[in-house]
Amino acid sequence: MSPLVEGFGALLDPTVALCIAGGALLGMLVGAFPGVTATMAVALASGFTLALDPIPGLAVLLTIYVSANFGDRIPAILINTPGTPASIATTFDGYAMARQGKAGLAMTASAFASAWGTLVGIVLLMVAAIPLSQLALRFGPAEMFALVVFGLTMMIGVSGGRIVKGLMAGVLGLLLGAIGRDPITGAARFTFGVPELSEGIPFIAAIIGLFGIAEVLDQILTHRASAVKPVTQFGRWFPTRGDWRRMLRPLAVGSGVGGAVGIVPATGGDIAGILGWDQARRVSKRPEEFGSGSLEGITAADTSSNATLGGSVTTTLALGIPGDSVMAVMIGSMVVWGIQPGPSLFAEQPALVYSIAGIMLVATVLTLGISLLRMRGVAKLLELPPHFLWAVILVFCMVGTYAVGNNVFDVVVMLVFGLVGLFLRRFGVPAGPVVLGLLLGELAEGNLRRALEIGGVGNIVSSPIAMTILAVSILALVVPPVRAGLKRRRASRATASAGEGR
Amino acid sequence: MRTTSTRIAGGALALVALAAAAGCANRGGAAEDPADYPNGDITLVVPYQAGGASDLAARTLASEMEETLGQTIVVENRTGGAGSVGLQHLAGQPADGYTIGYLPVETVMLGFQGYDVDPADYDLIGQMVSVPATIAVPSDSPYKTLEDLLEAAEKKPGEVTVANSGAGSIWEAATRELGQTGGAEFQPVPFDGGAPAVTAAVGGQVDAVVAGISETAPAHQDGRLRVLAVLAEERSESLADVPTAGEEGVDVVIGGWGGIGAPTGLPEEVATTLRDAFATAAASEEFTTVITDSGNLPVNVPADEYAAFVESETARFDKLLTDGS
Repeated sequence: MSPLVEGFGALLDPTVALCIAGGALLGMLVGAFPGVTATMAVALASGFTLALDPIPGLAVLLTIYVSANFGDRIPAILINTPGTPASIATTFDGYAMARQGKAGLAMTASAFASAWGTLVGIVLLMVAAIPLSQLALRFGPAEMFALVVFGLTMMIGVSGGRIVKGLMAGVLGLLLGAIGRDPITGAARFTFGVPELSEGIPFIAAIIGLFGIAEVLDQILTHRASAVKPVTQFGRWFPTRGDWRRMLRPLAVGSGVGGAVGIVPATGGDIAGILGWDQARRVSKRPEEFGSGSLEGITAADTSSNATLGGSVTTTLALGIPGDSVMAVMIGSMVVWGIQPGPSLFAEQPALVYSIAGIMLVATVLTLGISLLRMRGVAKLLELPPHFLWAVILVFCMVGTYAVGNNVFDVVVMLVFGLVGLFLRRFGVPAGPVVLGLLLGELAEGNLRRALEIGGVGNIVSSPIAMTILAVSILALVVPPVRAGLKRRRASRATASAGEGR
Repeated sequence: MRTTSTRIAGGALALVALAAAAGCANRGGAAEDPADYPNGDITLVVPYQAGGASDLAARTLASEMEETLGQTIVVENRTGGAGSVGLQHLAGQPADGYTIGYLPVETVMLGFQGYDVDPADYDLIGQMVSVPATIAVPSDSPYKTLEDLLEAAEKKPGEVTVANSGAGSIWEAATRELGQTGGAEFQPVPFDGGAPAVTAAVGGQVDAVVAGISETAPAHQDGRLRVLAVLAEERSESLADVPTAGEEGVDVVIGGWGGIGAPTGLPEEVATTLRDAFATAAASEEFTTVITDSGNLPVNVPADEYAAFVESETARFDKLLTDGS
């Protein structure tokens, strides 16, 4: 029997179907709960699934992994709070769309984009796992540093046209990223003796504060002036034919970016979402709409962040190296089940690889179905009077943030960042670059310092991958203003010659 | 109609949320009398995230101890500050046996790294896991033995790069100790976690990696890495062909470990109950199988022996972490 038939056939067991269904519901719930990440859900579930056989066990864990990356879009779109870090970029356009009364369309587009992204990732896993994983091994500190530098060029994109304020916000993020123990020497920096700060600003608490809490505070302060209208209208749900056509390009861009980022070890949906969003903006015919309710923006972001799933599973299975934090937990379970991820897995147990791909496939389709169904229920929730909604959001954010490490400190950080977010918002400073700085600053520093420890500057200069990515980063910064300048000059010349002709 | 139903829905939601919040905070009303211990839920504090190796060991042991004690053991992951947050929390809990904790090797290291953690704050119950350090090179590396690697690091001090899981980690300390004892100077390169460090060695970005045996043994078995030595007293079952560092002439025994402790001042009968339950659990087939499968070494060290070990470890890290670092 071919491993494909055998692998997919193993899923016909009703137990597996039940496990996938249970995992899908659980995953959507934890995804939608701000603060509770897929990593945490998979970690806690793995305590129970170890008692199951490998295939049903993997069915639960992988389905949670997949469906959490659908569920986290809901709070991102409706209340500007990323359910998990993977949906940071969803808030950029999703929430703006919701406020324009297009929440329904945003959620449907997001669900389809997420499903498409996941499918692309799964196909990558099935057809090219081994060669792709070899590419992943080439990404050492020097290459990672270059990739992160490229990521930092996105600060301009996520500034939403307010470049000076955006860069200020980016620098704030980078400075906040410097808090914590030095990545090489371990010396404490700006920790003021607070042990919690030694690992840096808790990221999840920071994003919930900057996006969700800041939004709630803003609404509470301005509701009487009715300057901010809470989301109550959903508008139409399904994309029109014109919408679909507009979604094609971001779907393609998102798949490419997400697939590539997913393969690089230790990078996941958070970075990929922002990167995919920004790349789609660069190639879009309507880049000015990005950040203020662009259908293309939300499509690109969600496609990209979910296309990383297949890539992460690929690196995990083909190299035995966790592709992201969820897979790190899952490797632990696999090892106990006697499944040893690594190149030999594909040779010795190809059926298992197909079973894994099959589980993810079924999970994606099922979760897409649930996503389209349950939306009417969510609509009811938003009909609540705003003061109830604020209370519920605040309580959920606090409980979720506390659950990250059972630590009140995280909740305090969340509230402080809520105030910071409110302050930034009032002064027209975008929050996106702060998050980007916080996320990438640490990675940039750590990898640069590691590269220098390993072989000095030569370590970076001698890497063709790193130098190519750095060159692309420079182009990404230089080309747009030059092109805009040329266009302006051409335009002014055209008007000038038109004037002469008169 | 609508407003009533939405109100009810809102109220219900808020209640659920509050119940969830209350659930997190509930300590369970445990009785204070040590004579009828255990009489209520026991909390086991793990200072690391759910899903890691420490968490697995703690949870597996907890479910075995539950059987002997006849009470539920709730595992509570209190993360942050390289483990210091959870350890400090444990030290501050009442010494009634209803809060116990997982004590990793970091318990004796953090105090020398600027954290407020002191091993004297805990009454030890027993040690159940040992994670010997290993040193491994990429499979195409010119270094075939530990001696080759040490020789290279002796000739070109500071040029042989050795990855580890992070600044201040046990594996960085192990790298330093191996270098000092072997008369060589390695260049430790801290990564952000054990997996990226091993990846860097597999990908050939560094000359070698020092990591726990569970992280390097799988890669050794399928030929992506070559483990040169296990820094333990005896060869490991999972790496039977790999010599110990002692066999290679460098007498270094170092690694991670995990045990169970409680805040100091545990009543004698409570301590005895816990120690007995611990010994039964650590010897159970379920526990030894899960830990062996995860690639680490299940052990069953009684409290007094464990205390002596913790003392010698404290002395070792005092020396290793306070001078020359």
